[in-house]
Amino acid sequence: MIKFWNKRAKLGVITEKPELEESLKKIRKEIKESVKKHFAGSLAIRMVDSGSCNACEAECNALSNPYFDLERLGIYFVASPRHADVMLLSGVMTFNMTPHVKEAYAQIPSPKWVISVGDCPMMQAPYERTYAINAPVTEHLQVTHHIAGCPPNPLEIMEGLLEFLRKI
Amino acid sequence: MRFIARFCKEKSECFEIITIYDEHSEKEEISKENPSIKTITKKNPAGIWFERKMHDDFGIIIKDAFDKRPLVHQERFPKDIHPLRKDFTQHKLQEAPYLPYKYEEIRGDGVFQVAVGPIHAGIIEPGHFQFSQAGENMLHLEVRHFYTHKGIEKMLEGKRLEDAKPIIERISGNESIAYQICYRDIYLQATKQELPLSLQKRHALLLEIERTIHHLTDVGFIPNDAGFGAALSFASKLSEEARRKMRELTGHRFGFGAVSFENSFIDIDGFNEWLNDLEKSLDFFEDWIMDIPSLWDRFDTTGILSLKQAVKYASVGVVARASGIKIDRRANPFYLEHGFRMVNEESGDVGARFKVRLGELKNSIEMMRHFLEEDDTVLEVAKICDGEYQSFCESSMGELFMSIDIKDGVIERFFARDPSFMNWQAVHIMMQKDIIADFPLINKSCDLSYAGNDL
Ligand code: SF4
Repeated sequence: MIKFWNKRAKLGVITEKPELEESLKKIRKEIKESVKKHFAGSLAIRMVDSGSCNACEAECNALSNPYFDLERLGIYFVASPRHADVMLLSGVMTFNMTPHVKEAYAQIPSPKWVISVGDCPMMQAPYERTYAINAPVTEHLQVTHHIAGCPPNPLEIMEGLLEFLRKI
Repeated sequence: MRFIARFCKEKSECFEIITIYDEHSEKEEISKENPSIKTITKKNPAGIWFERKMHDDFGIIIKDAFDKRPLVHQERFPKDIHPLRKDFTQHKLQEAPYLPYKYEEIRGDGVFQVAVGPIHAGIIEPGHFQFSQAGENMLHLEVRHFYTHKGIEKMLEGKRLEDAKPIIERISGNESIAYQICYRDIYLQATKQELPLSLQKRHALLLEIERTIHHLTDVGFIPNDAGFGAALSFASKLSEEARRKMRELTGHRFGFGAVSFENSFIDIDGFNEWLNDLEKSLDFFEDWIMDIPSLWDRFDTTGILSLKQAVKYASVGVVARASGIKIDRRANPFYLEHGFRMVNEESGDVGARFKVRLGELKNSIEMMRHFLEEDDTVLEVAKICDGEYQSFCESSMGELFMSIDIKDGVIERFFARDPSFMNWQAVHIMMQKDIIADFPLINKSCDLSYAGNDL
């Protein structure tokens, strides 16, 4: 264990690497303030995959890696829709997932918002319509903000969250 | 004889049932009026999902099957429709009345059921796990999937091979390069061309980067699920760096669209520098993580899949190799010349799967050094010929199989069997000696795909 602490002391904080643009710093500050204003310091997000390819989930997971470290800004991914303010929705809304997505949405206490992430929910990813796809999601839920990309990278997701916070 | 896949093709006069084994394949023609076949599940239990899927997709009756429940078609799916038949052309389904699914359950005094999913607590894909519990002990688990079923097989029918690529590379985001390589091999078979060695090396390089990203994520998440979060921070830093390398090389963090017939510039020195750093970090990681007894208390003897069971269920990939089966699609002269060595463990538990991943990471670094070369080869592609083509690739999860039939210049039938499709069927065996709190750990140690499984 002592080896680990030595290594950690040597490595220091890597989160704000200079290779990430200055804008990241600015966004972080803005998000922090906005979260404080609208959500009393913490914005709780329930991520729901309605039939994605998993790349969008991987990018949302990447938000928690030491380079991005989203949680410092007061934005959390929570385990239950009942703890959430916002549903972050990825995927093409498959026939099999549609009732479960609606149920998850119903379980979020009001006021609540839906943010769609990736091109899938808007049916803009290369997938095409089949019997098993119910996208676009706007036919089923009211979407407040859309974060485009296939997949959007973590920085774009952060920017997207910021734009959402500006909207409401 | 290892079972690989079983699927159906609709021909003008009949249905063809294709069964693929490692050494040969079988073809059975059955009439369209009364399509029925015999099950192969007595010998190959992993055949059951293939057969249930065949019933949903084509309406093939499996005469003596022990399990006739629907697989892909869930509670609200319209009854008696078979979407993969050629005469089915609907693009929108109406929800049918809710028909409950009968889970496999163990009943008895004090035995209760725990339903988990389809939406899970973490940021992961949807799937359902139904446990029969006696207190903390898991008596039985049924894995139920196909929530992310998008109808990709149908989606690709009628498309030209070139137009299918953007969809094929998005079947499973974590295995995109592997899917692209399977696609590439089919493309080359269809144009009757050979791949120049330099392109083969570049594609193999990309595949190893993909494996590195995925394994790095896993060696972080597995300890995290045993309550050791520091490992996740450490490994997710490394996997982010690997992802950025992928981006630098291909212009995309997941390598979508990266496997092409045109080699582009590669910064060899920069790449080597990254490999050296990664190697050092991994040595440190291994040294550190192997030395944490409380972690190995959780890893060792948890979630065992014995060699016998792994063979019986025709497991593939990391799961199979951790149980002592020596299979890897990379065990061929090309890879062996470039530093490949098979990483095996015997114990078949969480610890074994973790160690296989660590071993493969180190091997990937070695191979990537061999694959690195500056090159600008371009392969002019020839015309695509009709025919039935098959290919294999070892993705970060295991053996991927793809089959594409081309007729009149467009795709007549597309089928892919993700490695996860085999391994999911063995997951319930791993649970039998453990408590429910170990489930997330065991599940993560296999790290299987839902999207690839569900198609
Ligand atoms: S938007 Fe693109 S990356 Fe995201 S889930 Fe859909 S296909 Fe995958």
